[in-house]
Amino acid sequence: MKISIRLIATFMELLPPGTKGNKIEIEVPEGTTASVVMAQFNVPQDASSVIVVNGLTVPLSTLLVEGDVVSAFSAVAGG
Amino acid sequence: MYGWHGKILRIDLTNQKTSVEDVDPQIARDYLGGRGWAIRYLYNEVDPQVDPLGPDNKLIFATGPLTATTAPTGNRYMVVTKSPLTGALAHSNSGGDFPTWMKRTGFDLFIFEGKAEKPVYLWVNEDEVEIRSAEHLWGQDVPSTTDALLAETNPKAKAACIGPAGENLVLMAAVMNDKDRAAARSGVGAVMGSKNLKGVVAYGRKNPIFADDKKMRELSLIIAKEVGADMLAGSSLREYGTAYVPQVTNTLGILPTRNWQTGTFEGVDEIDGVALKEKYLIKPKPCYRCPIACGRLTEVPDGKYAGKGEGPEYETISAFGSGCGVDNLAAVTKANYWCNELGLDTISTGMTIAAAMEMYEKGYISEEEIGQPLRFGDPDAMIDMVQKMAYRDGFGNELAEGSYRLAEKYGHPEIAVTTRKQEFPGYDPRGSQGMGLLYATSNKGASHMEGDVAYEEVFGVPIKDDPLTTDGKGELVARFQDAFALIDASGLCVFLAVRYVFNTDRMIWPTRLSQLMEYTTGVAYTPAEVLKAADRVYTLERMFLLKAGSTEDTLPPRMLNEPLPDGPAKGHVAELDKMLPEFYEVRGWDEKGFPTEEKLKDLGLQ
Repeated sequence: MKISIRLIATFMELLPPGTKGNKIEIEVPEGTTASVVMAQFNVPQDASSVIVVNGLTVPLSTLLVEGDVVSAFSAVAGG
Repeated sequence: MYGWHGKILRIDLTNQKTSVEDVDPQIARDYLGGRGWAIRYLYNEVDPQVDPLGPDNKLIFATGPLTATTAPTGNRYMVVTKSPLTGALAHSNSGGDFPTWMKRTGFDLFIFEGKAEKPVYLWVNEDEVEIRSAEHLWGQDVPSTTDALLAETNPKAKAACIGPAGENLVLMAAVMNDKDRAAARSGVGAVMGSKNLKGVVAYGRKNPIFADDKKMRELSLIIAKEVGADMLAGSSLREYGTAYVPQVTNTLGILPTRNWQTGTFEGVDEIDGVALKEKYLIKPKPCYRCPIACGRLTEVPDGKYAGKGEGPEYETISAFGSGCGVDNLAAVTKANYWCNELGLDTISTGMTIAAAMEMYEKGYISEEEIGQPLRFGDPDAMIDMVQKMAYRDGFGNELAEGSYRLAEKYGHPEIAVTTRKQEFPGYDPRGSQGMGLLYATSNKGASHMEGDVAYEEVFGVPIKDDPLTTDGKGELVARFQDAFALIDASGLCVFLAVRYVFNTDRMIWPTRLSQLMEYTTGVAYTPAEVLKAADRVYTLERMFLLKAGSTEDTLPPRMLNEPLPDGPAKGHVAELDKMLPEFYEVRGWDEKGFPTEEKLKDLGLQ
């Protein structure tokens, strides 16, 4: 199934070289979790980052479905 | 005293006289400094019912005990007064260089009283204090005024001033310092203008003396090293400034778009920090002694939006960019430059224009009344309105009153997205419930700087909290309000303090901040004591607000009744009634939001 990954600001560096913008579409097998996908892109899964699925706060063990967007950014005070 | 100078400079503008007075050590300790001292003096000396633009209102510049110290980001000051925009309390924060220079004059606070007959500026060179004519500067913009003030006094001094917006009593006029930094919100610049006070120049060498010099320097170094390591590892704030945030809020569906009609903006990639870095960034620009350097020195090199200055930051992008439906970053940046030069708050200015755009598109205001079309996504009309607002020119005179008064005047108050008549900053509370509670209860009207729970709900600092839930948000908001009161009173920047100075266990014990305060002032502050002092400050501000007659904690109808139409928070409204009772209980206020006798007694405020 196809899902999208959006890595924001400094996490953009974790996307494959040559990626245009901060989002790519990838193919993953059924039963893939947000945690597995984030590990694939070396996104830290601790207090130093925020990871959301379709913009929502969900457990990283959540099973992804076709069309999901997993987004991540570093936890930084600011705005 | 250590840390504090314990000195207030009082400037009687009516009689052109200045005087110096000592601060009572007990008040110093109980109210911490900065914002805390300022509300203590304002509450004692100004009737909350006073005309904010009349001579009986007072304008207070307040540094904290950590301003001008070795503590990283100890470079902030507050401008405190009664607001002409909200009719309630104003306390607006700014960094840059001026606050440090002000503290080095040997005074912690400047209190301006009365009204000068003709335009003046204040020149403070330690104990040499002069009120000088500013008639030749009246009408000049912020950069020209700043250059002239320094040329006439000391090129090594630093200045704060107002631009044409403040002179023209525009209700969202800012007090600008170091040209591009702003004590922006609530119309503090209009109060300065009402007093015929064009500028303030400061120079001195009176650095605060630390009670425990060795420990203060050691702890400052530890914090600086931690921040430095984070910056080296790659910080979004250093790399992109706060301009990285539109991608975050857009992802969560809370990026204000076309006057809050939705929370996602199709043009976000065109106006974010990555685009800014690629196109217009010259270099990051830090405030004095700041290891983070979130400020942006930028230049739009050519074209009709050409210019050079600082910004835009996130709030400016969300107001002039997505808020006005404008996906042209050069135009957003140019609007920011104009606001800086004319002395305007970018949030209220941009969001007021956004409200006017919606009213125009819905036919509530005609092209004839505006003098031109004013559609969402029209960058030229937007920029034109910024200039007209500062001079109250044509329809700009209506915009200069803010979106609440504008919408009410034209018969559609539901268009205004404000609390206490002040425009929201860039987080939609329908998808960030805690922010809704914060805006509704804020003593200064809608503001993120009064307890920015977006840190938890959006940014995951110190921990991530689900922004769509309401459970526990009363406690969360109260805790952040106290934390921000504490940070503002101390003289630090929130960007440092929430991450590096408070503990990661949800800021329950701000050990490091109490240590910085102790090593600086010599007062044996405990974490519990500084938090209680912050509670005292916040509660006294609340009392000022209530006595001013602003007693209703609510949100505008769009937030309460119109669900977000799309995005992750689709279908949600702000569920204020679920959070307010818990909040009042945690704060020790009654069910109507009035501090209880018991609470006031506990804080020594009865």
